[in-house]
Amino acid sequence: MAKPFNPAIRDFLNGRIWLRLHTPFLREEIDAHIDAGHIQTIKGIETTPAFMKQKRHVCNRCENEDPSRFTTFHCAKCEGPCSYCRQCIKMGRVSSCTELIIWNGEPPTYPTKHTLAWQGTLTPHQQKASDELTNSQEQQKSHLIYAVCGSGKTEILFPPIHKLITEGKRVCVAAPRVDVILELEPRLKAAFPETKVESLYGGAQPTMEASQLILATTHQLYRFRHAFDAVYVDEADAFPYKADETLQRAVQKAVKPGAPVHYVTATPSDQLLTTIKRTGFVSIINRRYHGYPLPEPSYEPLWNYEKQIRKGKLPEKLLKWTKERLARKEPFLIFFHHIGLMEEAEPLFQLLDPRIRSVHASHPDRKEHVQALRNKELPGLLTTTILERGITIQNVQVAVVGAEQQIFDKGALIQIGGRVGRSVDYPTGDFTLFHNGVTYAMDEAKAEIQKLNKGGVHA
Amino acid sequence: MKQCLLCEQQLASNPTWQSLIAIEKTTLICESCSKTFERVDIKEEGDIIDHVTSIYTYNESMREYLHQYKFLQDVALAGIFANELRSELKRKDAIIVPIPMHPAKKIERTFAHIDELLKAAKIPFEDLLEKTNTEVMGEKTKEERLAMRPLFTIKPESIIRKTTYILVDDIFTTGTTLRHAASALKEAGAERVKAVTLIRAER
Repeated sequence: MAKPFNPAIRDFLNGRIWLRLHTPFLREEIDAHIDAGHIQTIKGIETTPAFMKQKRHVCNRCENEDPSRFTTFHCAKCEGPCSYCRQCIKMGRVSSCTELIIWNGEPPTYPTKHTLAWQGTLTPHQQKASDELTNSQEQQKSHLIYAVCGSGKTEILFPPIHKLITEGKRVCVAAPRVDVILELEPRLKAAFPETKVESLYGGAQPTMEASQLILATTHQLYRFRHAFDAVYVDEADAFPYKADETLQRAVQKAVKPGAPVHYVTATPSDQLLTTIKRTGFVSIINRRYHGYPLPEPSYEPLWNYEKQIRKGKLPEKLLKWTKERLARKEPFLIFFHHIGLMEEAEPLFQLLDPRIRSVHASHPDRKEHVQALRNKELPGLLTTTILERGITIQNVQVAVVGAEQQIFDKGALIQIGGRVGRSVDYPTGDFTLFHNGVTYAMDEAKAEIQKLNKGGVHA
Repeated sequence: MKQCLLCEQQLASNPTWQSLIAIEKTTLICESCSKTFERVDIKEEGDIIDHVTSIYTYNESMREYLHQYKFLQDVALAGIFANELRSELKRKDAIIVPIPMHPAKKIERTFAHIDELLKAAKIPFEDLLEKTNTEVMGEKTKEERLAMRPLFTIKPESIIRKTTYILVDDIFTTGTTLRHAASALKEAGAERVKAVTLIRAER
C-alpha cells in the first residue's frame, strides 16, 4: 500500500460501512481510493437462491434477513429486478445495485494521552463493579453491570473507558434511545476533555474527525463494522433494542472480531442474565449511591378509570393524589399507557393547575417540558413510558395510571419507580400504582424491589 | 404477521368473510396512520385542463410520505393510496396518462413514481408524454414557472385520438405542470383533458 491516500477519508471511513454514492467526499476521489485498494466495495444486498425459486436476501449494512422487510421492484438503473432493504432505509436506500464501501487501508492511530477529569469518588460498590468490568475487558469477555436505578452506573464506566483510550483503543457507548445519548454526552465530554468524543443519532452531523469515543443510538451502529475494541450498551433492556434482533446484531457487528460487548442496566431480562452468566461476568449493585433503599410501590385500585376519564371526570383517588402533590409543591410524573387517554385526561388535570402538560415520543416540546419540570416552572407532567428511564428530577413523585396494562412489564415498573428518590437531599418519595386489577408484572416488580432492598440478589 | 408500512406496528388481522372470498380491499397501513391523511376532494373546472380532481391535502403526514416514497425511494409505498386512486380512475371512459419523468432523472430515482402508483392500483395507463428537460418545478418561483418553454412533447410514434385523456400526477401546486401536459395533448388532437392528483398543495 505505497500509494498515497487522503487521511480525512481514512479518518471518516475507518470502522464505517457507507453508501459509495453518498459520502461527504468527491465521487472521483472515492473512486481513486477504490482503484488504489484503500477502499473495498461490497454489494449492498446479498441474494442467494432458496426453496422453490424463492430468493433469500441479506442486507450487508444492517444484516436484516427478514423477507418481509425487503421489497423487489423493476429498477430503472440496473434494468432488472432489484431488491432493497426497508429495515435501514432511513439511512439512504441499500438495494441490489447499490455499493457499500469500507476502509481497507492502513488504520489510523488514535492518541494515547487522555485525562479523566471527573472529580468524584466511586463508592466501594461502584469501585468493585468498575474493577470487575476492567478485568472482563482484559479477558475479552462480556460483562453485565446490573445496578439499581440511581446507583451511579455511568461513573462506573469512566475508569474502564479511560484505560482503553489511553491504550489507543476505540470505544463506543450505545443506547437504544436518543434521550439517553443526549444525557450522557455532556457528562462524558466533561469527564474526558482531551478526547475526541462524537455523538451520533438520527439527524446528527458526523464531525468528520477520527473520533475515539463514540456515543451512538443502537440504530446508528448499522453503519459501523469491526470498529470498536469495546461497546458498552446502556439501558440494554429498553425498546426498541430488546425486541429488535437487527439492532442486537448491529452491536455485535460494530465491535472488532473477538472484542467484547458489555451491558449496563437496572432491569436485565432473564435471557440477558443467563447468557452473560454463561459467557461472561456479572456485577450486581443493589444499593443506591446514597445508601437509601429503593422506593416500594403502593397499590391503589382505580376501577374503571378509563371510562371515568373518557366521561370527563378524574377518578377520586387520582384527584386526591395530584392535589396532595400540588399542595406540597412536589414535582410529579403520571404515567399513562395510551396517548389518547392521556390527552383526554390533560384538560381535566389542567383544571387543578393550568400549567400541567403532557408529553410523548413525538411531542414537539418534549425536551422543553421536561426541562421546565426540572426548573420547577411546571408542577408536573403526564407522560407515556418515554420518560421511564434516563431522567433525573429532584424530589419527583411518581404515579402510574393503569399499572395493569401490558406495556407496564416488570422492567418498566422498576424503571419508573427508579425515578423517585435519586438525590441525597430527597432520597425517598411516593410511588403509587393505580390499577384496575393487580398483575403478575406488578407483583414481580414489587418483589424484586424488596429483594434488592434486602440485598438478596446474587450473581 | 403483516406490519404497517409507515409505523411498523402489527396490522390487526381479523378474519372476515370478505377476506375468505378475496374481495376485501388489502390494507398496507394501519388505521391510525391512514387517519393522519386528510381528504380534500377538490373538483374544479378549467380551460386548458377541463377538470381537476385532487384527493388529499398536503399536510405533515403527506409531506413525510412523499419524502419516504420519492426521496428515500421506498417503492413499497406506491400502493398505500391504491384504493383511493382506483375509485377516482376506474371505469372512466378515458385514456390514463401519467406525468413522466425525465429519463435521466428516472434512472437516478430508479423508478417513475407516478407509473408505480398506477401499477400498484392496477390501473392501465399509456405513456404518451416525454419530459423535455430536467428542471424541477419545486425550485421555481411563480413567474419562472409561467414563462417556461413547453415541458412535454408527445412521444414519437404515439397517436393522439379525439377523445378524453386523464393526466395523473402526485401533487398539484400551481398547475403549471398539468397545463403544459394538457396543451401538448390538445395540440396533438385530444378532445378533452382531465387530471387527477393525489395531493393539492395550497400556495
